[in-house]
Amino acid sequence: MLDLALQFTVNGLVVGAFYALSALGLTLILGLMEVVNFAHGEFYMMGGIIAYYLTGVLGLDFFASLAIVVLVMGAFGWVVDRLLIRPLRSKDTLSTALVTIGLSIFLVNTFLLLAGTAPHKVATPFPTAPLLLGPVVINETRLFAVAVAAVAILGTHLLIHRTRLGGAMRATFQNKEAAALVGIDVERIYGFTFALGTTMAAVSGALLGSIYVAQPTVGGLVSLKAFVVVILGGMGSFAGAVIGGLILGVAESLWGGFVSSGYQDVIGFAFVILLLLVRPYGLFHIRSERV
Amino acid sequence: MRGEGRILLALLAVAAVLPLVIHDDYFLHLLVVAGFYVILASSLNLIVGYVGELSLGHAAYLGLGAYAAALVTTRLGLSPALSLLAGAAAGGIGGLVIGALTLRLKGPYFVIVTLSFAEVLRLVASNWVELTNGPMGISGLKPPDLALGRGLVLAVHSQAAFFYLVLVLATLALFVMYRFVHSNMGRAAIAIRENRHVAQSVGIDPFFYALAAFVLGALFAGLAGAFYAHYFTYVGPEVFGFSFMMSMLIMVLVGGKGTLIGPVLGAVLVTLADEYLREAQQLRLTLFGLLVIAVVLFFPEGLVGLPAKLRRAAAMRGEARQ
Repeated sequence: MLDLALQFTVNGLVVGAFYALSALGLTLILGLMEVVNFAHGEFYMMGGIIAYYLTGVLGLDFFASLAIVVLVMGAFGWVVDRLLIRPLRSKDTLSTALVTIGLSIFLVNTFLLLAGTAPHKVATPFPTAPLLLGPVVINETRLFAVAVAAVAILGTHLLIHRTRLGGAMRATFQNKEAAALVGIDVERIYGFTFALGTTMAAVSGALLGSIYVAQPTVGGLVSLKAFVVVILGGMGSFAGAVIGGLILGVAESLWGGFVSSGYQDVIGFAFVILLLLVRPYGLFHIRSERV
Repeated sequence: MRGEGRILLALLAVAAVLPLVIHDDYFLHLLVVAGFYVILASSLNLIVGYVGELSLGHAAYLGLGAYAAALVTTRLGLSPALSLLAGAAAGGIGGLVIGALTLRLKGPYFVIVTLSFAEVLRLVASNWVELTNGPMGISGLKPPDLALGRGLVLAVHSQAAFFYLVLVLATLALFVMYRFVHSNMGRAAIAIRENRHVAQSVGIDPFFYALAAFVLGALFAGLAGAFYAHYFTYVGPEVFGFSFMMSMLIMVLVGGKGTLIGPVLGAVLVTLADEYLREAQQLRLTLFGLLVIAVVLFFPEGLVGLPAKLRRAAAMRGEARQ
């Protein structure tokens, strides 16, 4: 019983690491830029599908593929921001939410046309043989993917807190006008932030595609989960997204394992509904600390 | 009566004679579906267009209405006419509960929490097998015959009869919405949409008026759900799904949000376009995605706003020439 609980917890932490990574991307886009991005799950899906084509079809190395995913999706995110989000910057939530809903419909169906409905597995150089850590079973691919997720999270944290660019980002989202006055190119920062958020979703999708599968229709659920995590953690809160992601992963895994797998996906939504009634600004929201 | 009312009456008159000239059952079926979407899109428009908040959980009331209708006729054996009322009531009550809980929230929070409610209901509908028959759904619903009196029954069996039924329901819905929008309550709701703080400063309680519009929208979505259940004789968890939400949202947008005619035009056009582009399958949905993007970026007022936009463009050209 205890061993089983431990196993479910570890499984939950693995899944939670990816929830955290994709939610971190969304917390940049939703929490800081205030774009309710319904295409976030599709960015995730694109990461998985592109990684599959690079490793499975072109036979590229897994690490090189991951680097290409980062570059391609970063550029893609920048273009999306430039063409779709920037013209609506001064409009309300409704307009940007709708435009990303349109983008999401477009991307899902374009990728269904290109890649078909079949699930694809991203190939990795790691053996799939299980590793035994005491009573817990895990394999190298999972460990590696979690490690990459952790590095990506840490890297983003350092980028935001230790670099000039990160300083400019923080300034822009604290006070756009003041940031523009001291010479920060605010539009460039917005574009970069969106591209960064997109890339994080895509990396998360590519990594999870190596553990499970990549599929064009997966995006909707991923978007919803990322929204749940961002709200759990508090809009724009970096630590909140990480902890929220891990909590959701473990809670789902334990609930699915011990109670009922049918209702597993309800947990996140129930969390969100309860939380917004009790603590409307998220578990870890501290107003002064954004990012 | 204002211009909008006149156009709606003219549309009603045209619609009323359609079954007399069209005898093609397939085309009548399309018109029935379009009528169903007219009610649904108009009900969403009350919230998106008049309250100005994006409710992505509107499929929740559609689903509640559809399941309520299915359950009261198959489990309780009530008359199908009553089940239309039950559907509207279920939608309205759902709207009251969810609206009361969520309308305090703004922007992204509101969007995501309303969506969460619809998702929770969808998962309950597919997992509570004893009540809802799970993913199999409830089938075998009877047509909504209306008992007018002893032995006198208005049988709704043919496509034409279903068309008139949906026409009556849509007319009722639009009449109530027209009265609401042009009443003090509707004007208060519009004032809140335009400028919340100014509205508050003249004594309008944003929460109350938003809730009134929300419940009314939910009620008619429930009615549409009940009609759906009887027309298709089947209800499954997909009525809570995001695809209905997408369809009604596209209709409201394409037609023009914040007007009564917009969603009506949008519902008819998108239903017909959807059907005639069916052969193109996924390409059709890809195009719909692009259409949504284009409407939001270039025609935020939808089809209804098009004449005014063209006039403005013509006026600008005229000025430029001078």
